Amino acid sequence: MDSFTAITIAVFLPFILAGILPTVEKLLKDKVGWYASAVAFLSLIMVAQVAPEIIHGETIQGTIEWLPSMGINLSFYADGLSIMFGFIVSGIGVIIMSYSNGYMSKKEDLPRYYQQLLFFMGSMLGMVFSANTIQLFIFWELTSITSFMLIGYWRNRPMSVYGATKSLIITASGGLFMLAGFLVLHAITGTFDIPTILHNESIREALHSHNLFIYALILIFIGAASKSAQGPFYIWLPNAMEAPTPVSAFLHSATMVKAGIYLIARVHPIFSGTEAWFILVSGVGIFTMLLAGFLAFRQTDIKGILAYSTISQLAYLMTMYGYTTHHEPGIGVAAATFHLLNHATFKACLFLVAGIVAHEAATRDITKMGGLRKEMPITFIVATIGALSMAGIPPLNGFLSKEMFYESSVEMGHLLGGPYTILIPALAVLGGVFTFAYSIKFIDGIFLGKRPSKGLPEHIHDPSMVMLAPAIFLAGLIILFGLVPSIPVHNFIEPTVSGILLEPTTLHVKLWHGFTTSLMMTIATFILGILIYTQYDRIAEWQNRFNAMFPWFSVNYYYDGAVNNAKDVTFKFSSRMQPGPVKNYVIAVLLLTLAMFAIPATMLATNFIPQNLNFDVPLYEGLIFLFMIIAALGAALLPKYLPAIISLSGLGYLVALLFIYLQAPDLALTQVLVETLSTIIFLLALVKIPQKFKEHIPTTTLARDLIISVAVSAMIFILLINATQGIVPPFETLSYYFIEKSLALAGGHNIVNVIIVDFRGYDTLGEISVLCLAALGVYNLIHSRGEDE
Amino acid sequence: MNNTLLSLTIAILFGIGTFLILRRDIVRVIIGLGVLSHAVNLLIVSAGVFSGTKVPIITDDGGHGAAEATGSIFTDSLSQGILAPIIEAGHHVDYVDPLVQALVLTAIVISLATTAFILILAYRIYEEYGTTDIRELRRLWG
Repeated sequence: MDSFTAITIAVFLPFILAGILPTVEKLLKDKVGWYASAVAFLSLIMVAQVAPEIIHGETIQGTIEWLPSMGINLSFYADGLSIMFGFIVSGIGVIIMSYSNGYMSKKEDLPRYYQQLLFFMGSMLGMVFSANTIQLFIFWELTSITSFMLIGYWRNRPMSVYGATKSLIITASGGLFMLAGFLVLHAITGTFDIPTILHNESIREALHSHNLFIYALILIFIGAASKSAQGPFYIWLPNAMEAPTPVSAFLHSATMVKAGIYLIARVHPIFSGTEAWFILVSGVGIFTMLLAGFLAFRQTDIKGILAYSTISQLAYLMTMYGYTTHHEPGIGVAAATFHLLNHATFKACLFLVAGIVAHEAATRDITKMGGLRKEMPITFIVATIGALSMAGIPPLNGFLSKEMFYESSVEMGHLLGGPYTILIPALAVLGGVFTFAYSIKFIDGIFLGKRPSKGLPEHIHDPSMVMLAPAIFLAGLIILFGLVPSIPVHNFIEPTVSGILLEPTTLHVKLWHGFTTSLMMTIATFILGILIYTQYDRIAEWQNRFNAMFPWFSVNYYYDGAVNNAKDVTFKFSSRMQPGPVKNYVIAVLLLTLAMFAIPATMLATNFIPQNLNFDVPLYEGLIFLFMIIAALGAALLPKYLPAIISLSGLGYLVALLFIYLQAPDLALTQVLVETLSTIIFLLALVKIPQKFKEHIPTTTLARDLIISVAVSAMIFILLINATQGIVPPFETLSYYFIEKSLALAGGHNIVNVIIVDFRGYDTLGEISVLCLAALGVYNLIHSRGEDE
Repeated sequence: MNNTLLSLTIAILFGIGTFLILRRDIVRVIIGLGVLSHAVNLLIVSAGVFSGTKVPIITDDGGHGAAEATGSIFTDSLSQGILAPIIEAGHHVDYVDPLVQALVLTAIVISLATTAFILILAYRIYEEYGTTDIRELRRLWG
């Protein structure tokens, strides 16, 4: 199988196999989760199949034509970056779906759950392998939508709905900013194709000097920041924790929230090396890192800690990808990429632990827990490995990438010079200090200390292997990557970094590399971290006082205000615009039509009445007109239903008669038949509706309705006398064709019939469908009687 | 076809129909829709483009009557992408316009279907709520 096919299969297989999942569920019952894991595993194999080529330094590209005239095709591109994401997405996917077998109760709606997980996985894979920006955008928004559905999985919980809505509003509208950015990029470069821009030096140089450059950068960055919960957009992620824990582990720590990071890494060669890039990406990153780090430290919900810590860790990645200067484009890239992989392992591991703890202890409140190490020894060990890796303790993988983060911060500070030499490393250490503190809090709060006397179930124990094994596997990876860093570095990091920097790169990552500045910074981090942790109560008190004093100092304050306002405004608007009675809408439509006719007509100031009026009609035709008007007036004015109906059908037969004079024998025939039938239906229906209601029309209403009617009448008259001047329009009409070809092509002499059954046969099919639907509707309406009783 | 009195009649039918669909009684509204659909059908038929007067039925059995019908011969060729006839504007045709008649033929049948449906709907509404007054119905629905 060639590599392009493998990628296409990896992307679309989850969608296709998720489609038949409900059927499979009938066979497997509650074991359907294993089917989902198997699907994820197949995608993993497909990704793995491509990996060797990428590690050799090649890239893969292929296209299936879709909209070639617009330059939009279904095309996939794989380099180190996409493959690493492909591995993370499908690999964590396998782990999460296996774990869900133990986590999700048998009573849950399992097909929906696994289907959405698979849809998500497919979308995410599609996004990371997308080779053009429009396709990337489509898959990007698909991940937002599947995330929305999974956060709102428990539909009847108000907080789930709130969290789901919030995430959709923020991430999907961020996606629209990104789309706008892509369009600006297209305006500059003239292509949607990502590899073309990446590999074409002259395009990139032209881009940097273009005056739209900054707009493209800002728009795309807003997309990335909203998805990865950076800057003010962070608020959706904590609320997204209402999702089932495996979903949080999969979407909201390991994969979906990294889409923004992926985007930043993807456009790194295009935008980096400029001042704007550093200020925007690193600036927002550092700010978010400190804010979220502090907030994570203050959470009492264990998933809350992990949510804020995810935001803060993503901010690390942003910061590092932002570390570029014109001469040194890739200072932080290697560190960021390595940390990205490590974060996926330890954070997913910690989320799985959080799920286990919540599952067993029936609470997620850290203040109600403690001392669980004796009851859940294996979980305790796994959690400790994960948390220590997050805190950056050797010899775990988190330590390695944290050191690289410090190293790149020092280097960046050096390059910028001046006060930045100290400032940037200091801020980096401060971020690390918070990370250290909340990592300790996670372990200390749940497992260490004394078991609270009440509030916890009596028997708490390690869960079954179904839930434990995935966590243990991830913990194993954490240790392996820490002790033998060459495995991930050689297989994932080097190809990725080469892909981002567009040149072959070799990295040397070692556990021990002497007493360097970054080691000193790590030691400082540990000391300060422990110090802050012991001062927890004082900080908490200070922060609570601050929050009470400045309630407006929060993004949520504005988000909730804006959303509630929007609800009020739209409610008021729609209750004003849609007051209810159909009559109002009819009047609105009529008035608008009249205005659309009258305004241009008066503006053109043409003569409404053409010169060539023809009042010359035979007497019998004139009489028909007169009778028609009398019949219509009768239908309108006769007070009883029955005479009015008879008057209406009289009008119908007169119309049939008129059709004969208008040279339309087919119409006359049809009209007679239809009129007969509809008169019968009218009478049948009206036998059942006694005339009880008689409308009393107030004078003002009568005047208004009469004015509208007369205006409509006048409009139609003016239109018609102008339209029927006998001027053949200056374009060809289809009628010629029908007249010409009726006999030749269809062998029919009656042109109207030929049009109906032959040339426009599909229209007639549609007409017959309408008849059938109406008949079904009538039948059902009659039979819907009495079902309520 | 230039027939001012016909245009006037159609316009008056429109006016009457409009007045009726603004009523509160559902049955009156349905009658109004009936009047309106007659008016619309007549409008379309009277707006045909040709000035010919013959019924659109080809009477010549010779098989080459088609060319005589329009007085010109044109070719359509799917392979060359020519689908529509190319003919100079203002060409005289003996027949009245068949296309509008075909359209109206469909419209007549469809208006029968819709009339039947809304009539039964009105009948069911009366059965459920005991009234045909739209305002009273809104009050009952709350």
